[in-house]
Amino acid sequence: MVSSKQPFHFSTIFQKSQPKQKAYSLPKDTAAFQQFHPPAKLCRTSEIPLPEVSEIDLTRHFCGLAKRNVGIDTTFYPLGSCTMKLNPRVNEWCASLPQFVRTHPFAPEETVQGNLQVIHELVEMLCALCGMDGGTLLPCAGAHGEYVGIQMIAAHHRAKGDHERTEFLIPDNAHGTNPASVAMAGFTTRSIPSGPDGDLDIKALQAALSSKTAGLMMTNPSTLGLFSQRIEEIAKCVHAAGGLLYYDGANLNAIANYARPGEMGFDVMHLNLHKTFSTPHGGGGPGSGPVLCKAQLTPYLPLPRVVKQNGNYSLVKEDPRSIGFVSSFFGNFAIYLRAFLYFKLHGFYGMRRIAEHAVLNANYLKKQLEPLFTVPFKQPCMHEFVVSIDQYPGIKALDIAKRLLDYGVYAPTVYFPLIIKECMLIEPTECESKRTLDDFIAALHKIVEEIKHSPELVKTAPHTTPVSRLDEVKAAKTPILKAV
Amino acid sequence: MDFISNQEPQIVEMLRILGVDSIEALFEAIPPRLRVPKPMQDDGISESEGMAWIESIAQKNTFPSFKSYLGAGAYQHHVPALVGAITSKSEFLTSYTPYQAEASQGMLQAIFEFQSALAALTGMDVANASLYDGATACAEAALMALRIHKERNKIVLSDALHPHYQKVIEQYVKPHSGEIHRIPYTNDFQLDLKAAQTLIDDKTAAVIVSYPNFLGMIDPVAQVAAHAKTKGALTIVSANPLVYGLYASAAEIGADIAVGDAQPFGLSLSYGGPYLGYMACRQEFVRQLPGRIVGETTDQQGRPGFVLTLQAREQHIRREKATSNICTNQALAALAALVAILWYGKEGIKQLALTNYQRTAYLKHKLATLPGISIPKSDAHFNEFPVSFGIPAEKVQAHFRRHGIEPGFHLGPSLPDHFLVAVTELKTQGDLDHYCEVYNGLI
Amino acid sequence: MIKFTETHEWITVANDVGTVGITDHAQRELGDIVYVELPKIGKSVKKGEEAVVLESTKAAADVYAPVEGTIFEVNEQLTTAPDLINRSSESTGWLFKLKIANPKDLDGLLDQKEYHQMTHE
Repeated sequence: MVSSKQPFHFSTIFQKSQPKQKAYSLPKDTAAFQQFHPPAKLCRTSEIPLPEVSEIDLTRHFCGLAKRNVGIDTTFYPLGSCTMKLNPRVNEWCASLPQFVRTHPFAPEETVQGNLQVIHELVEMLCALCGMDGGTLLPCAGAHGEYVGIQMIAAHHRAKGDHERTEFLIPDNAHGTNPASVAMAGFTTRSIPSGPDGDLDIKALQAALSSKTAGLMMTNPSTLGLFSQRIEEIAKCVHAAGGLLYYDGANLNAIANYARPGEMGFDVMHLNLHKTFSTPHGGGGPGSGPVLCKAQLTPYLPLPRVVKQNGNYSLVKEDPRSIGFVSSFFGNFAIYLRAFLYFKLHGFYGMRRIAEHAVLNANYLKKQLEPLFTVPFKQPCMHEFVVSIDQYPGIKALDIAKRLLDYGVYAPTVYFPLIIKECMLIEPTECESKRTLDDFIAALHKIVEEIKHSPELVKTAPHTTPVSRLDEVKAAKTPILKAV
Repeated sequence: MDFISNQEPQIVEMLRILGVDSIEALFEAIPPRLRVPKPMQDDGISESEGMAWIESIAQKNTFPSFKSYLGAGAYQHHVPALVGAITSKSEFLTSYTPYQAEASQGMLQAIFEFQSALAALTGMDVANASLYDGATACAEAALMALRIHKERNKIVLSDALHPHYQKVIEQYVKPHSGEIHRIPYTNDFQLDLKAAQTLIDDKTAAVIVSYPNFLGMIDPVAQVAAHAKTKGALTIVSANPLVYGLYASAAEIGADIAVGDAQPFGLSLSYGGPYLGYMACRQEFVRQLPGRIVGETTDQQGRPGFVLTLQAREQHIRREKATSNICTNQALAALAALVAILWYGKEGIKQLALTNYQRTAYLKHKLATLPGISIPKSDAHFNEFPVSFGIPAEKVQAHFRRHGIEPGFHLGPSLPDHFLVAVTELKTQGDLDHYCEVYNGLI
Repeated sequence: MIKFTETHEWITVANDVGTVGITDHAQRELGDIVYVELPKIGKSVKKGEEAVVLESTKAAADVYAPVEGTIFEVNEQLTTAPDLINRSSESTGWLFKLKIANPKDLDGLLDQKEYHQMTHE
């Protein structure tokens, strides 16, 4: 079914080029400048096939693209594991303050005391929130943070002369970045199954622990939205075997200032500021993945670091025990600057209220959706929960996700975690109002009705988006990765 | 202040439906001894107080009042006003990774156009949707080379590559038993070609060169690439992409992989981030490219559309065997760079690169006429050059700063009393003359 | 003779030459195959070692050598028509041929009946 209301095909900017048109302006060059030329034999001879477009046409092109996209500002986004909360505009305002924007990463320390204060204080606040002793804001994203944390664990074992530890244990419901980060850091992975209650199988864990274990990587609550009640026991087992415990902080929204990873037994962790701390997702980045750790691991934190003495901030650029450099400069400064203000606006008590409402909203949705879908875990969930779309013959989770787009809702995460069949992972976040949640529930009720009376509508959805289902096989078989 | 919508009337209703007395009851899975006691202090502050507070911290930064000649991997260029107008649009700023392609055509197309723009600038066949920054892009390229040449474990890199980039490459390559060998640079601040030719052998997976090099000079990269080819090694060029508006493209040089940081396009200094790593390569290596890639395809009605493609290589599918662990890229930064690149366009990029070169050459030539100065003679530079004033660095810095100028990046222990001076289109002739006057006042 | 592995490979044997592919069950699980990374001719593989990588839009799967041997031929057609595996995984969609180093390796593999039982559990 094709909707005639759809805009016609939207050309690429390359197709909008008109000879000699332009948007740019440059300061005039004086004769004094024009006398200089680079060595001719080193110069580019080929054309640069970029388009020639005027400012008004560029503006219209990008505004047109914006109309073909949605964001939290326009749409409810219950994407499990992504924490799609409001990206407050006050954060945007602070990140554009000229006194921050115009600072060069190599500016002399005494001229950027404001920046260094931001870094130092934010690390302290995050440590207090998470029960940790030290940290770094250098990693540019969660996966980057995982890599850094794993390297720190590796450094710890090396420093103790323990070279046998080559393996990391990872739960089977872990996010894909976990095993990928482990492999990138040169370790092998071993998967630990979850038990029927959704918690990590302790017996399987104990069987897997050995003198080869460098550590266990997990998140709590898990990707199923369940808090591991055995976490202290798990920590004991891993530590007894000589391994360390890594906390994937992607799900921190559920326990912010309600429980602290450091007190659960975790040794090192990362946070996703673009999740828990509302920094904008920007269509897929930039993010920020600070790493925090216990005292025994602080020597290995990457460089450079910010220290405070007598009210003055300065940089430490050398430390033989550190794992070294992990990014070009100071990480995504303008991103964690936003998180800094966000944290201050909320205060520690406000962070806790975030956790309370994230959990309230998720449980409310879960309860209201129980009549429609299989809910594998009946106990109260945390900030997110899974449903399995297995009770409507011929209908897959993907179909429901696509039909939701027609109802003006961005579909929840589908097919993750991998261990639940036809899985949908739903996370409303603390921001959403009851009415938004009720509208979402109503939309799903309507879709279930459609499944009964006109299933084709659901199976071939979406119908009201700028394009219908796209041929992913074709895209992978014969990739066209640029405009000609 | 918080951004929670539900208040008491809604909370009461929701708890009633859930059949529990309080929100706390929903947290019963957390053992009591792990629960943080309810903190009654620090309830946060209002928006106006927050703004005043962060502004007071910002005021402590005095750096913006200086005329800065700092470069060294982060450059102060004009950011077109259109960039902020587009990136702050709700549908871009607050959108997520375009997994549901049908509702994300805007961002997917923007990334497709970004890939196309980087391919156009570098001259390579295909580009990805961006990486974190220049340093990690280089590291990812090194890992990519080791994957392509599984039997080789040697990475040769130019010692004139950004020092931070070198450190990050080491960080990433070490766990994979990669060996790193460095090509020294000469007293003329150029890559030692003979040394390069000796070091690159048939055990080398790739050579990584910088373009321009960290000292702003243009190295004999085409010759390095030609030699690498004879040994079956890959050539990775790490470049400020603006350089391609003036000097030979990565393709013309003979590179296999082009990486770098696209911060000069549309991204303000912001104390080092977010910046924008990019990676482009020859067609035959496309399946080894890390990170997200957008491809064009058609929908059920045959209309053109865009999707994330070649995802089977990525972490969420391939897990421990993925080409990289990268999940989030730098999408919004890529959009900013795209808008800036398009604002300049085909002709503008060339004009921008040329004026950067010419203003730099002007200052370089003027300084060279002054006493005590030691400066490379070569005109093969871009928008940066190394200079020694023949005076201890602290004295130089103190003097220039008293006159409101940050003279350049002090090159530190390896080149004592040398500075790296960067000049972009934002420096006027008056500024550059003043720089020389201030120096004159020192001697 | 045809034998199967627990990881859904099949191998037919004629003298000391084995032809290897994936089963119909496996290709259905993977979905439309878009790319096949074939091994180099002359590569020696141990039993259970990764020999081929198959890519679909939603998964990437390793194909393991059922027995030890040296690969001497690959199905070149798959470079331009990877979907051959979906259409005919158990005949024309074969992946590679190898000289079997140790025929005893075959003893540990599943026969048709055992494989059928395994996939219908």
